[in-house]
Amino acid sequence: MKTSMMALALSAALGTTAFTPAVAQDYPASDVTVMQGFKAGGGSDALAQLVQPFLAEELGVNFVNEYIPGATGAIAWTRLAKQTKADGGTISITNTPMLTTNYIMNPSITYNISELTPIANIVTDPGIAVVAADSPFNTFEDFVNAARANPATVTVGNSGVGGDDYFTSLQFERAAGVQLQKVPFQGDGPSWTAAMGGKIDASFTNVGVSFPQIEQGNLKALAVFAEERLPDLPDVPTARELGYDLVAGSSRGYSGPAGFPPEALQQMIDAMQRVVDNPEFQKAAAERAMNIDFISGDDYAAMLKKQEEQYTQIWDEIKDEVRNQ
Amino acid sequence: MESFLWIGLANVVDPINIVAIFAGTMIGMFVGAMPGLSATMAIALLLPLTYSLRPETGLAMLASLYIAAMYGGSIAAILLRTPGTPAAAATVMDGHPMARKGQAGKALGLSLTASLIGGVISSIVLLTVAPLLGRVVLNFGPVEIFAVAVLGITIIGTLSQGTAVLGLFSGALGLLLATVGMDLTTGTPRFTFGILDLFSGINFTVALIGLFSIPQAVRLIVEGNPKDEDRVSSLRDRMLPTLREFVNLLPNSLRSSAIGVFTGLIPGTGGDTASWFAYNEAKRFARNKSEFGTGTPAGVVAPEAANNAVVGGALIPTIALGIPGSSSTAVLLGGLMVHGILPGPSLMTDHGDVTYTLLWAVLLANVALFFVGLFFTRACVAVTKIPNRVVGPVIVVLSVIGAYAINNSMFDIGLMIAFGLLGLAFDTFRIPTPPLVIGLILGPILDTTLQQSLLIGRGDWMVFLSNPISATLLAIALLSALQATPLFGVLGRAMKRRPAGGQPAPGGTE
Repeated sequence: MKTSMMALALSAALGTTAFTPAVAQDYPASDVTVMQGFKAGGGSDALAQLVQPFLAEELGVNFVNEYIPGATGAIAWTRLAKQTKADGGTISITNTPMLTTNYIMNPSITYNISELTPIANIVTDPGIAVVAADSPFNTFEDFVNAARANPATVTVGNSGVGGDDYFTSLQFERAAGVQLQKVPFQGDGPSWTAAMGGKIDASFTNVGVSFPQIEQGNLKALAVFAEERLPDLPDVPTARELGYDLVAGSSRGYSGPAGFPPEALQQMIDAMQRVVDNPEFQKAAAERAMNIDFISGDDYAAMLKKQEEQYTQIWDEIKDEVRNQ
Repeated sequence: MESFLWIGLANVVDPINIVAIFAGTMIGMFVGAMPGLSATMAIALLLPLTYSLRPETGLAMLASLYIAAMYGGSIAAILLRTPGTPAAAATVMDGHPMARKGQAGKALGLSLTASLIGGVISSIVLLTVAPLLGRVVLNFGPVEIFAVAVLGITIIGTLSQGTAVLGLFSGALGLLLATVGMDLTTGTPRFTFGILDLFSGINFTVALIGLFSIPQAVRLIVEGNPKDEDRVSSLRDRMLPTLREFVNLLPNSLRSSAIGVFTGLIPGTGGDTASWFAYNEAKRFARNKSEFGTGTPAGVVAPEAANNAVVGGALIPTIALGIPGSSSTAVLLGGLMVHGILPGPSLMTDHGDVTYTLLWAVLLANVALFFVGLFFTRACVAVTKIPNRVVGPVIVVLSVIGAYAINNSMFDIGLMIAFGLLGLAFDTFRIPTPPLVIGLILGPILDTTLQQSLLIGRGDWMVFLSNPISATLLAIALLSALQATPLFGVLGRAMKRRPAGGQPAPGGTE
């Protein structure tokens, strides 16, 4: 019983990870290693499990995940930049803004985006400001006014120093001319939970992770940091509508090492384009509450470059203040 | 909501799910029994196998794996003095001395019985009050969790056993080592010497494997098979406790189960913390405290009941709020999301059928574990019949694999060996190891919650006393520390009266 069960499970698992080439194409590698800077079962892995089965079919190659967690992804990305052959056989899931904030904030992290070949961004989870259901803040303006009246008093949670929400808080402080009391947590869950329990006044977090709580009425959403209002939250204004130029979120995509073969890069981008256009993929993404945000090739490189500039500037302004805390 | 309860039950008795539960139990027990392979890793390793299964089947398998790995951990702890999972570290204290006294079967039987009691109690709690208890968790913010961690630190006093100064040294070293890595509030790397692998801090599972397994492996290799009394080679005694023993240990089991459920409930604290908590409390309630550490049944029952009860407690915040109560439930949460289910209150409404199937599976897995354990454990004793000089190197190999597999990191192998050498040094100088482990586990929690609390309180330390929950917990911690002070003296004298050298106590506490 046990062995047959194992065999069954094993063959089923092989079925999901090792896809037999469906179409014979001339992608330069038959196995593509995907380095992930985070543990199995996390957000990067969720992207890998969603995208790679479709991508394997499009490209006719096998995708092999390699988990290299540590230093918020920096170990994997350092390896990608410094020790990986640019033969198309190895790529990595790249999470922004951590990809750039890692080395902006820590001089001992030595890779940078010029040593990478950005392939494409796949998903973005937009930023959102949430408060407890019984919070005195009913609108984003209530929150801003309180922050303005009492500088460095209104406590706002984020998912950790160097993460998207931390930099969103910094950008918001500059955009609104206020000073928040920023409280870093270890991940989004603890951050919005603390807001839900009234331990902090508000949390800057992401839509994907806090949506069930908003839907249940346990959290109030004050504003989203997206270009446009979200279809799922039609009543929540964007920060832009309210006059704060702030679009932010947590994005995940793929990058290779510098000098990635141009033909392989093009094949990869084309295949990813076909994947995101596939209605089956769109359905699977919607089921997992993943918001597709496809930005490929030079546009993805430009997006990373812009982030690098922005965050370098912000960090240069505030780093002494943070270090002296 | 009511109907989901029965749909869940109907789902779980589906033959496929029953098979998944038994398969998960078998694999979990095997994996948990290997030193260094934790329940978390077992779940992480098996997660890909469940992708193609139906959500309820996959989750039932993962849950039973988790529970069985907890028991598997205590097999290695009792027979080999190598805790297979961090949660079993406390079981070593009395389980291994019992085994050395020829009561290996009894120790394992007690562990199995206590696990059953802890597991069933926590599943019943889980099934009945999950949606309600989820609310309690919201009351635990950084300020309260800091107070819980302070209370946890007072456990060091109890673990020092007559060597207060050495115990405090060990605990302080643990706390110091816990500061390695990136500072949460400033992002500044501390004590990393530019080594990227240290940015996330010292992984305490890696440290634990080294601290406990390497000295043990070295001891086995150096000592060889000198005398039969030094190793546990057979289950001569019966496994199941007598009715009388069972009744005598029932209050302890129930208390430890309650500790387990509540500890699991608090995010960030898992089976490891709970088992030490329960061990500590069992000792405090015991009439003859000096029996602890020499192989008393109560010292096995307490951590075992607690670490299985943690499962239910830890699943409560995971299910109700999507906040993992322990590292294993964090992986389990990943499993839920892989199967397209978002955590949070909607788990009880939109996905109620799957959720309740999972909850029933937890209950059933505990029962399955009891029976599977009764058979498998006998077979497992064969491991101890292998000569010491074979077992020792095998432990080293498994430790290396275990340390590597956690983060797929070669660096962690070196770290594990470094901690192994530290453990050897501790053994040589008779410095207790458990306080170091407590320091390593609680250090990061103390560090981050202290900084968060002070940010929330804008630098005012009164934030801890103006909060009723944390003020109460801190008062208990103070009492606990004061109460332990005279205990040191009594225990110290008791230790000195023993024949020279005494008998080697487990867990490096000699």
